[in-house]
Formats: sequence, structure tokens, C-alpha cells
Amino acid sequence: MLDWLDQNTQYESEIKIANTQVGRRSLNPPEQRFRVGVDIGGTFTDLIVVDQTTGDFAIGKVLTTPDDPSAAVRTVLVQTLERFGVDIAEIKHIIHGTTLVTNAMIERKGAKTALLTTAGFRDSIEIGRESRYDLYDLMLQQPEPLVPRHLRFDVRQRTRADGSSHHALDTEYVKRLATELADKKIEAIAVCFLHSFTNPADEREAKALIQSVAPDLRVSISSDVVPEIREFERASTTIANVYVQALVDRYLGKLTQQLDLLGFKGGFYLMLSSGGIATVETAIEFPVRLLESGPAAGAIAATAYGVACGRRDLISFDMGGTTAKICVVDDGQPMIAHEFEVDRVYRFKKGSGLTIKLPVIELIEIGTGGGSIARVDSMGLLKVGPDSAGADPGPACYRSGGSNPTVTDANLVLGYLDPNYFLGGAMALDQEASRQSIQQHIAGPLGLSVQQAAWGIHQIANENMANAARVHALERGRDPRRFPLLAFGGGGPVQAYRIAVSLGSPELIVPLGAGVMSTVGFLSAPIAFDFVRSSTARLSEIDWDHVNSMLGEMETQGATMLAQSGIEKKQIKHRRSVDMRFVGQGYQLAIELPSGTLSHDSVESLQSAFAAVYRRLYQRAGPPVEIEATNWRVVSSGPKPDLRLNVAGSAANSNSSKQAGDAIKGTRQAYFPETDGYTQTNVYDRYLMKPGMSFSGPAIIEERESTVILGPDSQSHIDEHYNLVVTLPAGLR
Amino acid sequence: MTLTSIQLEVLWNRLLSVANEQQTTLIRTAFSTIVRESLDLACAIFDTRGLMIAQSLTGTPGHINPMATGAIHLLNAYPPETLSPGDVLVTNDPWLTAGQVNDFTVLTPVFRKEGEQDKIVAYFSNCCHSPDVGGRILSAEANEVFEEGLQVPITKLFNAGEPNEELFKIIRANVRTPDATVGDLYAQASSNAVGAQSLLQMMDEFGLDTIDPLAEEIISRSESAMRLGISAIPNGRYENETWSDGFEEPLCIKVAVTVEGDEIEIDFAGSSPQSARGINVVLNYTMGYASFAIKAAISPDVPHNEGAFRPVNITAPEGCILNCKRPAAVASRHLVGHFLPSAIFGALSQAIPDRVIAGSADPIWMSIWRANWPQSQEPEPTPEQQPGEKQEPQPQPRQSNLTLFSLGGTGARPALDGLNATGFPSGVGGVPTEVAETQAPIIQQHRQLRIDSGGPGKFRGGLGQNISVSHIGTDQWSVSGMVDRTKFAADGLHGGQPGSLGEFKLDGETAKPKTVLWMEPESVIDMNLPGGGGYGNPFERDPEKVLNDVINQYVSIKQAKSQYGVVIRFGGKPNDLVRLPDDFSIDTEATQSLRESQERS
Repeated sequence: MLDWLDQNTQYESEIKIANTQVGRRSLNPPEQRFRVGVDIGGTFTDLIVVDQTTGDFAIGKVLTTPDDPSAAVRTVLVQTLERFGVDIAEIKHIIHGTTLVTNAMIERKGAKTALLTTAGFRDSIEIGRESRYDLYDLMLQQPEPLVPRHLRFDVRQRTRADGSSHHALDTEYVKRLATELADKKIEAIAVCFLHSFTNPADEREAKALIQSVAPDLRVSISSDVVPEIREFERASTTIANVYVQALVDRYLGKLTQQLDLLGFKGGFYLMLSSGGIATVETAIEFPVRLLESGPAAGAIAATAYGVACGRRDLISFDMGGTTAKICVVDDGQPMIAHEFEVDRVYRFKKGSGLTIKLPVIELIEIGTGGGSIARVDSMGLLKVGPDSAGADPGPACYRSGGSNPTVTDANLVLGYLDPNYFLGGAMALDQEASRQSIQQHIAGPLGLSVQQAAWGIHQIANENMANAARVHALERGRDPRRFPLLAFGGGGPVQAYRIAVSLGSPELIVPLGAGVMSTVGFLSAPIAFDFVRSSTARLSEIDWDHVNSMLGEMETQGATMLAQSGIEKKQIKHRRSVDMRFVGQGYQLAIELPSGTLSHDSVESLQSAFAAVYRRLYQRAGPPVEIEATNWRVVSSGPKPDLRLNVAGSAANSNSSKQAGDAIKGTRQAYFPETDGYTQTNVYDRYLMKPGMSFSGPAIIEERESTVILGPDSQSHIDEHYNLVVTLPAGLR
Repeated sequence: MTLTSIQLEVLWNRLLSVANEQQTTLIRTAFSTIVRESLDLACAIFDTRGLMIAQSLTGTPGHINPMATGAIHLLNAYPPETLSPGDVLVTNDPWLTAGQVNDFTVLTPVFRKEGEQDKIVAYFSNCCHSPDVGGRILSAEANEVFEEGLQVPITKLFNAGEPNEELFKIIRANVRTPDATVGDLYAQASSNAVGAQSLLQMMDEFGLDTIDPLAEEIISRSESAMRLGISAIPNGRYENETWSDGFEEPLCIKVAVTVEGDEIEIDFAGSSPQSARGINVVLNYTMGYASFAIKAAISPDVPHNEGAFRPVNITAPEGCILNCKRPAAVASRHLVGHFLPSAIFGALSQAIPDRVIAGSADPIWMSIWRANWPQSQEPEPTPEQQPGEKQEPQPQPRQSNLTLFSLGGTGARPALDGLNATGFPSGVGGVPTEVAETQAPIIQQHRQLRIDSGGPGKFRGGLGQNISVSHIGTDQWSVSGMVDRTKFAADGLHGGQPGSLGEFKLDGETAKPKTVLWMEPESVIDMNLPGGGGYGNPFERDPEKVLNDVINQYVSIKQAKSQYGVVIRFGGKPNDLVRLPDDFSIDTEATQSLRESQERS
């Protein structure tokens, strides 16, 4: 791993060079006009600092410090600010995302947690949904609950479905149990009683009782964490919340303290799974909402880039070393899901992870990345992933002990990667090792040439991702052929062109600095809080006074919380929606509500809005059955930050030419099936490319963190935002 | 069209994703908890000949495979030239499809413009369990299928896009849950429509005029892979026999699996004759579970389609319990059919012990609850007509009608314990307690894992669960408990011990399963589900694993000693509520001597 440290140093210095002109602005009088986004990933901690007034920015990258993640944050912050010539007192906001919570769950490093349930239901988290997620696999394994059975306790109490009490809470038992748990060094308690989403009284009382006898125990109650029906999902989410709470509390406490010591005077916020941002207090109370905040930032960044260049609908495609993440952005908003899984234990299969029921930016994560291994299966078919060679031993070309052919090996053989310019030349790749590995494992067994096999690996990796993206879009009723593809992440740009062709995308967009784009997402999200209240009634029977007052209360609560975060009243916006379904169905569709006071007169427009969405998604009108409304939602948000990035400042300036030819730094042989083999292909230096330049494929465009490959039939140009925009001819779609 | 293996992989994956989309739509639009919570369903794509090419990710063998054979019957009744765009076919004929009148199969032809003409390029079909089809409440009591509910022969559900209102009227008038029964049929039609739209997109994108050559390639490759898998099994005839509780008397399931080269024959000759009650299995359903077993044991990775069926020949004498004749009663056929995979694994274990699992709880326990909502909680009658609604509004029934599925333990595996409270062989899952109690005025008093119910073994069988149900209100209420394995436990394999028997009790006394029981308002039903069988000698189980089972109360201290020969001491305070791992220890000496003495005997 020493190699990486060296690379890292070099990597940083290069970014510094790219930003030499920015030092000047420290002459300006100190005011809080800088914003910082910082992301702790598995390997790297990335940071961006942006001057709100000019759009100038700098990027920093250091190795993550797993033992004390705040150390890396501190280091990268200090280094980058120093380079940028900014005093920490000039920073208005720091917005932060972290994989800490995800990792704590995967590595089972959370608190020793107990679960209290309604008597007779302590096994709900183990019994789950009682089905196998793969019908034919006799050897499949189920995820292990975070709380083992000996720490799950039956508490005498019972609430009925209508919220009335069937048995009172056994308060003495709760106190005795809590005392004993604390004595025996249990650190956290999750409480999940049946029907508490309808009547939380017993859960609240239990929490108060626990805190009265064992004030050091952390307690999460399910009616606070996720007040929704289905006991297994609710309990599973509540446990996750309290399981990671101490860890997050300690970490954020330490980080806040260090920021104070450094002289930071601005607001410190966390990004949530849903893409909103929240205060440290909220993050500590509901740490489970920090899950997947890094990938969420990527999707938000893609959204921001899309909106900036006039593409409000797009598919974002973020590919790293082991996985790819795909998100549908619809009308300037990434789509939101209400349930997901963490830590899939068995072959990445859906169903083998821990269930979390919370709003999350709906990403589909596929086990295909640069390190994905290719093999020939029992049917004589070529398969790619989900097994990954990871960073260690890595692809065959790393020569660190990996002998299996990977996507990166295929790309190297195809000429898509320059063995001498991987990570800007920081790491040399061995093309011959790739060739041998592909020959031995793929080309030989299938009777193909090495380049045919390499092309096959490249293509199948692309199809895996394109299929996932297609289903993801179509499941949400979106036609992928209408959506431009926006590619980023270290591995995304190499594969993106063929994926766009396969999806039938109208165009492909690759922003400058795609390899580190995620951090931008932190700075483009508004501060937002979301609220939900359940009140189920048929449309004809809705008590509109009650609905108006519920919506009003949620809006007031949102406005108060936003005001506490320093947002002016006139900048606060509320988005209101209602979940609707036919009476008897189990899943709802979210329908936007008009503003203002609602009344019985609103029924008709709600009904027709529901019918239209239903028909679009499900291809048919629904049955002649009444419609009901279930959950009423409000999202209160502050202003969307006006994020401008002065990318011109960060690209090298020496080139004043508008001719794309002047950005060519060389040529190399690369494989394209259209030309039936290897073709001498132009290699462009991304940092020399200027708005207005246009060129045709085949082409290779290199920057330090990523490489774009474009096929022979492509037409591309650089737009005014320095994005590479590839128009895909209709014939390819 | 010739396909390279890479093109094939691409198109094949796409078909699977289309089928998954079809399934997602069905779940999201379904009304009954049976479909949307328990996933008692199957979705698949068929080529123009009616051969199944791809199925969705989950589903249940009792629907998937019978649907595959059923498609041919539907197309014989309505050949392509009689179908137009927007048509949707339906039937619940047990002999032609999934073996009971509750299961509706819905099939939609996919038309594509070719010049001026609309041409059928594929079919989408799905099958799911309706919440009610009238007749008796689902039980095994009927003597003839006519008592079991409305039979819908192969007919059009939608005609050129328009609902077949006459049929819908008849259905609504015959069932206890008109909105949910009809709502699910609409969901089934939507599911196929969404699949069809995606398939057409795929054909446009790849410039395919037909998917038949693709289908042929997929089917023949699957067939070859299946044959390759079969070839690896030593030739021979492997027999086994297993018993079901039956209705009046136990039923024998006798199976002979003959492996010869790359083909397998499964014959059920010698099994009990068909019953006078509703536990008879149609051949379609028998074939469904038998072919599932072969596929799971031999080639779980090979995608499931027509090709997987071809090398497997399944026979059962006409008139036996596994190939019943009309008009036999068939409503609870799963109680017998679900035994088939474990029976077949028992036979195959003689040839491929490492590829099969011990006996599981097998039949899914299905219970149908009828109760009146107490006045204060009674849903209001429908107050007004919906726009566009053609028939008269139906008053909401005061009575609730809820179907619950509950699962026991699965058999232990050659290197893994069985799964607790998880369905096998069925792919159907349970219903959350909170959802069940919202649908009917019942109270589940507990729903917890059943200690000591997993069959002891080097690898332990999965635990069953204990479920206790009471009721709110002052009227009588009823339950129909479709349960089995109360007399014959799940077998262990290779020295593994059987799992616990199931128990079905009314107010603490053993109650009669498979019939409708009327109960007093304050009655309580206990359903204690069977455990799976163990695998390997329990005295060879790693003592640390036994200790862990004791700490977590999967196994009692007593059973640890008697069945596993592991002596565990509890060193904590007897009155403590919290018992941590450190409170327990293995008495190594006592364990050693106990295990040695067992070895000697």
C-alpha cells in the first residue's frame, strides 16, 4: 500500500498546479463566502472547497484513516485551504457525507444492542418475510440480524391495529430489564412494539422508563425512527439506528470539536440518504439516515450538472472499482425510494441484506466495476462479476498477485487505458499480464482471439450495467431512450459510450473532473427536512380540516427547523404530496398536492392525477374500486444553493485554440468492432479542451482520474461548461 | 439469425429483466395480501409456440411450472388467429393450470406491427392465488371440485382492451371479496401489459422481428446444461417413500427416480389412490414440483425454461393422488404436492448426498380466517359510485376474509443448518402481523421460533414457529387450517434426526385440520409449525455450535445433552432476565464421555 501513499502525494500536487491562479483571492476582506463538501469513502477522503462569489474551487484527496476518520478530514481540510489561500473563518458551510455508518453495519462494529418487542414477537427480525430470495439455490444464506436472539426480549404490552390498548405496558419489567442490561454492559436498546406507528404511547413510555433507570443506555423507538406499517422492516431499521448511534455521536463530536479548534465559525451539516442535508443534532438522533450518503451525493452532483447544462432528465452513471451506481433523475430531481438493503451477504443478491426502511435516493448498485472478474460458466457463456478482484490483489495487470482477468484488464488489452497514464501515470499497468490472463481463462476455453474475448468482457460488463439501468428506469415508468446518460466516477467514462448506445440514450455527457465529481453533490443540495403523517381515508371521506391542519403542522415544524439552521423565512419552500392507492392495494403512488387549503373540491383533480400516473406506470386503467389516501408528506427546504463552478479556472489555460486537433497529445492503437480491429486513435488531453471544440470518434480523452472512450460513429463537442457532450446518432439507438 | 454467445447473453439477460418488471408490476398493483405480501405468484414469457423462455426471479414452483404447461392449453383454446391486440385470456381450470380454482392464470398475446399487419411475437403469462373464488371457504372438505368455487373456463378477460363485463359481473356475484378478486385480475393484466411493452422496446432496439430463434437457442442451451448436470449423476434407480397426514387416513407418496445417461425418469407408481376429499393433485402440479426438485438439486444456476423440463420425464398413474381425475376435489392440493421435492431428495441422496437437503416442513401452512368486524371498527359501506364504473356498487362485506401463510423450518444442508421459519419448496412467504391485523379483527398473541423443533444433526434442521391467534369481538368466528406434518415428521439425512411434528390446536386441544372450524369468540388457535430434518450425526456437531444454539435458545440445555451429547452448564443467576454468552459453558469432560459412550453403543 506504500505505492498508494506516494501516488497520493503526487496526485495532490498536480491538482495544486491546476489551481495556481486561485491564491490571489485571499486578498479580499474575510467574509464567509466559501463552502466545503467532504466525503469519507472506503479508500479516499475527498474534499472540495468553492468560492461562492466567483465559482473558483479546489479539490483535495487523502487516504481515509479508518481508526479515526476525523483525522483525514482535518488533514485534507487544512491542506486544501492552505493551498487555496483561504482562512477557515471564511467558510460558511461544511457539508459532510460518510461511509462510516455503512461500514459499521457491514463490519458489525456497532454497539452491543438489545431489542425490546411486544411479547411474542422478538423473532420478527429473524423470521422476516419467511421466503427464500432465490427459488432454486438450496444453499442460500440469510443475513444475520444485528441483535442476536439472546438479546431480544419480550415485553408484556399490546396495542391493537386501531391503536387502542389490548394490554397495558408492564412498566416494572421494563425498568428491571433496563437496569440489568445496563449492568451487563449492553450499550443500546431498540424498542419496536406492534402498531406503534398508529399509537406510539407505549414505546415512548418504555423509552422514558429505560432512561430513568439507565441514563447511559442509548434508546431508539421505532415510532420515531420509521413510523410505518410492517414490524420486521420497522424493527430492522430501528435496530440499525441505535446500533450505530454511539459511533456517529463520538465521531461527529470529535470532528465538531476539531473544527472549532481550527477556528471554523460556519454551519456544519450532514448529507442524508435521501439527499437532504441536516444538522449534526438530527444526524446523531437518526444516524441510520446517513447510510449511502456518499453515493447519494454522486447522484445529486449529477443532477446539479444536468440542471446546469439544461438536462433536467438524465440517467446518472457512477462506476468505481467494485460497483456501479445508477440513478434516474427526473425533472431535476433524483428519484427517491422508501426501502433498501445494507450488507448483502450472499452473492450481492437482493434479499440477502439487512432491510432498511427509509427514504433514500434510489440508486441501483450493481456488482460491476473495474475489478470485476470475467469467467466462463457451465453454459459456455461469458460472465462478468459480481466477484471482484478489488484493490488487493486487483486486476492481473496490477501484478499484485491477481491472476483473474477483470474489466480493467480487458480495457487495457483493447487500448482503452494507457498503461503509463493510469491515475495520471502514478501506477504502471502490465498489458502482457492482462493478455495472458484473458487468453488462459476466456479466449482459450471459448476459442476466441484475445481481443475478441477482451471485447466480450467489455461488452458484457456494459450490458450488465445497461440492463440494470434499463430495468431501473422502466420500473419507474421512465423510457431510458429519452434520457441523456451522465457518466462519472473513476471507471464510468471508459464504459459509458457503449452503455449509452445500448440504452438508446440521445446523448452522453462527461463532466470535467468526472473522477472526483461526487463531492460537488454536497454543495448542491438544499437544507431539507421531510415529514410524514398517516391518515388513511377514502377520497370521498377525507376530513379535509384534519388534513389541512396536519399539513400545516408539518410545514410549521419544517419552517422552525429551517429557521434554526439559519434560513430566512422567505426562502423556505414546502413540497406537499399524498400517497394514494385503490382500497385494498398494498403499495401507493405519490401524488403531488396543490398549494393552499384543500377541500372536497380537490378530490376530482387528485383522482385524475392518480389515474394518469397509474396508467402511465402500469399500462392500464385500474379496476372499478374506490381510491384512498394514506400518507401525507411535506418536504420543507431552504433555497437551492446557487452553485457555480469556474471550471475554466481549473483547466489549464495555455491553450487558446478552438481547434480540437490542438488538444491531441498523441495516438495509440485501440479496438473498435466497427473498424473490425485495432485502429490508430487520437488521444486528447482533457485539460486542453475548450468550449466550442468538436471532433468525431474514434477518440480517447484522458484526464488524471478517468478516461473517456468514444466509438467511430460518435460526434462530440465541449459545451460552455467544459462538459464533453457526445451526440449519439439515431442509427445507433 | 445466428447468435454469438455474447449476443445471446445480452438478449437473455434482457428477457429476464423484462420478466422481473412484469413481476414488480403485479406486486405493486395487487390487492390481496396473498400476492403483494406473500408473493404467491409467478410471471413468465413464452415464444409464439407457447414455450416458456424466461421467468421472473422469485415465484413459486406450483405456479411457474404448471403455468408453463398451461399456456399450451390456453393457446389450443384460442389459436393465434382468434386473438386481437388488447385481448387477455384467463382461466382457473385446475387440470389445465395450477391445480386449484383459486389460482387464476392470465395470458396476454403481444402484437407487433409488421407492415400493415399486427403479428403475435410472444405471450406473457402470470398466475396468482385469488383471495376468494366463492364456493366453500378453502379447505379440504369438498368431495367434488364444483363445491370449491367458481370455475372460469378459458375465456377472454379483456376483449380488444375492453373488460369482459359479463364475466366480471359473474365473478363479483360469486365471491366474498369482489374488489380484491377483481382487483387482482386487473393487476395480472397490467403486469403482462408492462412486460409486453418492454419486450417490444427490446425488439425495436435490437432490430428483432421475432424472438423465436432466440427462444430456441435459450431453450436448447438450457436443455444441454440440464443434460450435462444429469450425466454427472451415477446411473441407477433410486427409490423413496414418504407420508402425508391425508384427510381421513395417511397418504403414501412413493417415488422412483431413474437416472440413465442424460435423462431422468420420475415415477410415482405405488402412491395412494385419489382421495374423496380436496387434497388431490392434478398431474400438472405434480410435474411442477417434481421438475423443480430436479432443477434445484442438479442445476440451480441454469435459467428455468422449457429446456429444463425436456430431459425430465414425470409419470403418475391416472387416478392416483398425484394424477387425479375430474371432478375430484383439489383445493388443498399443495398439502400433498409440497412433499414431492423432499421425497425426491430422499431418493437422490443415495446418489448425490452433497447436492440435496434433508426433509423440510414442506407443505406451507395456509389458514383462512373469517370474522365479523366489531361494530365500531366495521368499514363503512361504499358511499358512492366511482366515475366510469358500470355495475352497481357492492356493499362492503361486514365480514373479513383473510388468508395467512406460515412457514416451518427447512431441512439441514450438507454443510449448513436449515433455515428457520422459511418456505421450502414453495416460494411463498408470510404476512406481517401488522398487515394481517389490519385486514381482519384478529390478534396474533405470539409468533416466535419454536425451540428444539429443528431436527438434530451435524447440521441442524431449521426451526418451526409457534403462532397463536385470538380474536376481537363477540361473534363466532372460523378458521380453516390447511396444515400437515402433524403425524409424519420431516426426515433427517445421513444420520440426521427428524424435525418436530406440527401441532394444530383449538383452545389447547388438538383440532381437526383441513376443515372449517367455527369457534367461540374467546377461542384461541395454536399453530406450532414443524421443524426441518437434520443432516449428519448430531453427536458430530461442533460443540461450539451447540453452545451457541443453547445461548440463543434454538436448542434447550436438555436437548443439547440428549440429542447432541453436549453437556452445557449455566453459571449465571437463575432469576436474571438477561443471560449472556459468558453465563454458559461446555462441560468438556462430561461431553467427551457422553459422546464416547454413544459411539460405543
